Amino acid sequence: MNLGLIIRALREMLPTTALIAGMLGLISGLLAYALPAVQARFLQRSFIPPGLQQMRNVMLGVDSATGGVADIAFSIAWSHPVVLILLCAQAIIVCTRVPAGEIERGTIDILMGLPVSRRQLFLSESLAWVVSGGLVLGAIYGGSFIGAMFIRPEYRPDWSNLAMVLVNLGLVYALVGALALLAATLSDRRGRAVLFVLVIAVGSLLVNFLQLLWEPAKHVSFLSFLHYYRPIGMLQKGAWPWRDLAVLGSGTLVAWVASGIILSRRPLTTL
Amino acid sequence: MGIIETDQLTYRYGSRRGIDAVGLRVHEGALYGFLGPNGAGKTTTIRVLLGFLHGSTGMARVFGLDCWTQSARIKQDLGYVPGDLRLWPWLTGQSALNMVGAIRGRELATPGRQLADMFELDLSVKVRRMSKGMRQKLGLILAMAHDPKLLILDEPSSGLDPLMQDRLLEYLRTVARRGRTVFFSSHTLSEVERLCDRLAIIRQGRIVFDGPLDDLRRQAGHEVRLRWNPAREIPADFDRSIPAGVRLVSRDGLDVHLHSSVEVVTLLPWLGTLPIDDLALGRPDLESIFRAFYQTDAQSAENGGRR
Repeated sequence: MNLGLIIRALREMLPTTALIAGMLGLISGLLAYALPAVQARFLQRSFIPPGLQQMRNVMLGVDSATGGVADIAFSIAWSHPVVLILLCAQAIIVCTRVPAGEIERGTIDILMGLPVSRRQLFLSESLAWVVSGGLVLGAIYGGSFIGAMFIRPEYRPDWSNLAMVLVNLGLVYALVGALALLAATLSDRRGRAVLFVLVIAVGSLLVNFLQLLWEPAKHVSFLSFLHYYRPIGMLQKGAWPWRDLAVLGSGTLVAWVASGIILSRRPLTTL
Repeated sequence: MGIIETDQLTYRYGSRRGIDAVGLRVHEGALYGFLGPNGAGKTTTIRVLLGFLHGSTGMARVFGLDCWTQSARIKQDLGYVPGDLRLWPWLTGQSALNMVGAIRGRELATPGRQLADMFELDLSVKVRRMSKGMRQKLGLILAMAHDPKLLILDEPSSGLDPLMQDRLLEYLRTVARRGRTVFFSSHTLSEVERLCDRLAIIRQGRIVFDGPLDDLRRQAGHEVRLRWNPAREIPADFDRSIPAGVRLVSRDGLDVHLHSSVEVVTLLPWLGTLPIDDLALGRPDLESIFRAFYQTDAQSAENGGRR
């Protein structure tokens, strides 16, 4: 590790991380404040439009007309598309900086002219990625916690169960980040690397959405990383989804190691 | 042991030539010029030396260490200014010094300020607000603030005004006197001529000359310019009477321009037989020697284009 490299990476991504963490904290807080009341009213209604019911079921992967208010409401909050999109965007922004971003900007020459090994560069960037992940995930959890302070106590989730969801969501962030890192080590253009991960992220969102509406999508749903992120199960049962965590964790590890190997061997110069 | 040593160093960009069998040896304390036209392979050689690229074949060592596997160790004692210098736009000069100091694990603020005074650079300005010349000065300061044993400068004076160029060259002479080595890449000979005691010329990826400047001049032969006596006509078979080792460059009326690659003592008896009104004989200036390399390159490119 090189302290200067870590400071450089953190300093460079701090404004974006602060902005996205702020937005995620705010959105999570608002969702935590508003959704339990909406869910409570939803459960009291005798008639629920089938389309709306189905949409919610698709989003959660369970029947949203049953179950506790807090579990359903916080499941919706934590798998809300805006939350997932912002989280993925943060991972992509942070992890496509090196080397693709540095090459494109032309600063790779001055950076690699300093006494840093490729391994140090990779590890420093990885640490910065983890730190930024901690900040945005912390903001989501903190936002939910603050939002829940203003609702009825019975609508609040079990916080230890929500911490499980946080770990699961953290691995989703990690996988997207590792894929972004892999794309950035394979490319000299940041735009291309971003596009590559965006296609995967949007594809995953789409497959995850379509799988309960369209039969053929079910057969490829295992390819979506969101297939391995189901907050409702954790919130309702309080059980670790070991299989999902293992899939996301191994995907992250494979992409991260591959990125490290490629970075250690590839030419690193401005174009 | 040389500070920089390469042997048969080759790098190819896919099917495109980068450098081919480059052999260099730069000794400690040298002011070494690395000269060549654009696209000749100067930057590629430097990038291999710095471990940005892995040479396809051959050997590259700096301080006796392998340029690819021990690159980070090499760069502890090395300062580098890239040809196309780009810096992080969010940095100020001072924060850049602090950041590079943190990466190097050394305090660079004090020596950096001294260099900034020398180059008249305001370190409080953000890079994004700096002119090209200011950025170049900052790049030089960042490369030199830790007083490296080896400076690799890829066209370092681009963007600097003549006064600052003079200051840079003077500073480089000073550091070389203290035993530091300067590897100075440029495509303008006058700069190299003013600074360096030894140079290599690279053309189409290959080293075509490596040695002291005087050797280059000697290898270049002599320029002979003579004016024929107006009372006598230049014989029709004059071209054929020219001895071996002497070449007719041009003829304009009574003015004849020759190039000789033979010793002056060999040339003089033949010149003595000619009805000459005026004669100028001397070494060509380095600019014209170097221009000849450029022209050869341009001709090759032209021929390649026609093919």
